[in-house]
Amino acid sequence: MVRLYTDDLSIGYGEQLIIKDLSVQIPNQKITTIIGPNGCGKSTLLKAITRIISHQSGAVVLDGKNVAKENTKILAKKMAILPQTPESASGLTVGELVSYGRFPYQTGFGRLSKKDYEVIDWALQMTNTSSFKYLPVDSLSGGQRQRVWIAMALAQETEIIFLDEPTTYLDMAHQLEVLELLQQLNKEEKRTIVMVLHDLNQAARFADYIVALKAGHIVKAGSCEEVITKEVLRGVFNIDAEIGIDPRTGKPMCISYDLFKGEK
Amino acid sequence: MIHRQQVKKQRILLIVLLSLIIITAFVSAGIGYSTLSFNRLLPTFLGQGTFKEEFVLFSVRLPRIIITILAGMALALSGSILQSITRNDLADPGIIGINSGAGAAVSIFFLFMPIQPGSFVYLLPIVAFVGALITAFFIYILSYNREVGLQPVRLVLVGVGFSMALSGLMIVFISSADRQKVDFIANWMVGNIWGADWPFILALLPWLIILFPFTLYKANKLNLLNLNEPVAIGLGVAIEKERIILLLTAVALAASAVSVTGGIAFIGLMAPHIAKSLVGPRHQLFIPISILIGGWLLLFADTIGRNVVEPNGIPAGVVVALIGAPYFMYLLMKK
Repeated sequence: MVRLYTDDLSIGYGEQLIIKDLSVQIPNQKITTIIGPNGCGKSTLLKAITRIISHQSGAVVLDGKNVAKENTKILAKKMAILPQTPESASGLTVGELVSYGRFPYQTGFGRLSKKDYEVIDWALQMTNTSSFKYLPVDSLSGGQRQRVWIAMALAQETEIIFLDEPTTYLDMAHQLEVLELLQQLNKEEKRTIVMVLHDLNQAARFADYIVALKAGHIVKAGSCEEVITKEVLRGVFNIDAEIGIDPRTGKPMCISYDLFKGEK
Repeated sequence: MIHRQQVKKQRILLIVLLSLIIITAFVSAGIGYSTLSFNRLLPTFLGQGTFKEEFVLFSVRLPRIIITILAGMALALSGSILQSITRNDLADPGIIGINSGAGAAVSIFFLFMPIQPGSFVYLLPIVAFVGALITAFFIYILSYNREVGLQPVRLVLVGVGFSMALSGLMIVFISSADRQKVDFIANWMVGNIWGADWPFILALLPWLIILFPFTLYKANKLNLLNLNEPVAIGLGVAIEKERIILLLTAVALAASAVSVTGGIAFIGLMAPHIAKSLVGPRHQLFIPISILIGGWLLLFADTIGRNVVEPNGIPAGVVVALIGAPYFMYLLMKK
């Protein structure tokens, strides 16, 4: 039974629609990756699903309820979102930022309970950021900072976590570190992960389910083997790709590509 | 996950600032145009003074000291809220049209109402308050977009525009008025604490007593609003609703202060900023510090202003601006 899906979702202002009548199902406890060229609406889709922007028609449905009409604090206990390159308030410490993730569970003046402290500690441990606890977030490196933000999303204790390009501005090793952390969360903690990724091979390597978008509609959604193919990539990115098998992971990968220049 | 040391530092700062306020209040009570020597302060306070001493302390100095502290606190709290909901460290109650709105209302009222000296004094804060609220309402409407809601950056721009337009309007009004009225309005605009009397304290105090705990109650939400919009939404903050409630809170606080003190800028800018650099950006920690800094700053400025030029002194608003303007420049340079 799929918990989260969109039904004929249209997003945009007035006549100009960024996404039109899009229906997609997000498989439970899997890693789903949304790929597509710049401006195809992949970030927009992620924002609409997570109610950060409103949609024009259609619906996002979570556990049988329309997300647009559901209480926002109840939703915050079910899904967490890590936006693209979020900024922190200057001087805020790592521990303080991660503690903000407990907001949906707090009432009144918002003193942290014993349970809150436990969850925060756990989130710091999971993301290997415990040693930064008392340091200001803005003193950390890009990779460390991204892990701290993931810790905050973890402290929210949601079954679904959305991430908008979590590897942007990170070097190769740190990109892998973040993605492996997400994979670990998916495997060990059974979290459903939905993310927008730029890199095709990273998408193929880490995703169970890939949604390929172009100009606001789905070109293909399915397993890596179904999506990372010559035909789909031509349709989505307008590239002529050479697909091989990653010798280490056994997943399909794009070995080389050229711009597509019409039929040969 | 709050560092104990951070909390300890905040407690120490609270004590230091409270002591500073008490010391400054004591000094302020002892100096001024009429003599009331320091060694007579305590006896007078305890009811042992002469008639003249009691009059100076209880009817002149003390109400003024209390009103400046309270007004400074209200402005600082207002500024703290505004900086967070607009996510702009340069925000100040002045930018959402509080000063100019209240000022324009006071000018119009003063120029066009037949004046009865007795009752009108107590009407002025109400007039100023209404003027500030109406201006804030228009600024809000103009910075509201049906699709994306309240736009913090636009709020600042529209606010600055409104301030300029209203200042121009006031000059037009004043230019045709007679000398005595112009003097009063000019004094009001530069923040000459004029409402230094016990009834004004009673008019200002309830706002602080209600809205200070209310703001602390909202501290969690302010933390998130200050952070980042998508993050706040994702964590379940109803941002539109919270922003409106908090904006109204800030307007009410600043309007209640400005209506008795006249147009005072910069306190709402400086106090939160200094507080944040001392204890960090978490509202639970910095707001109490910010309030004490605001109260002390205005008291300090008024004490200096009252005593540098005999006999009338210079308005507190001018002294605050003398301190605030360089601070503002420093902030801009740092950015």
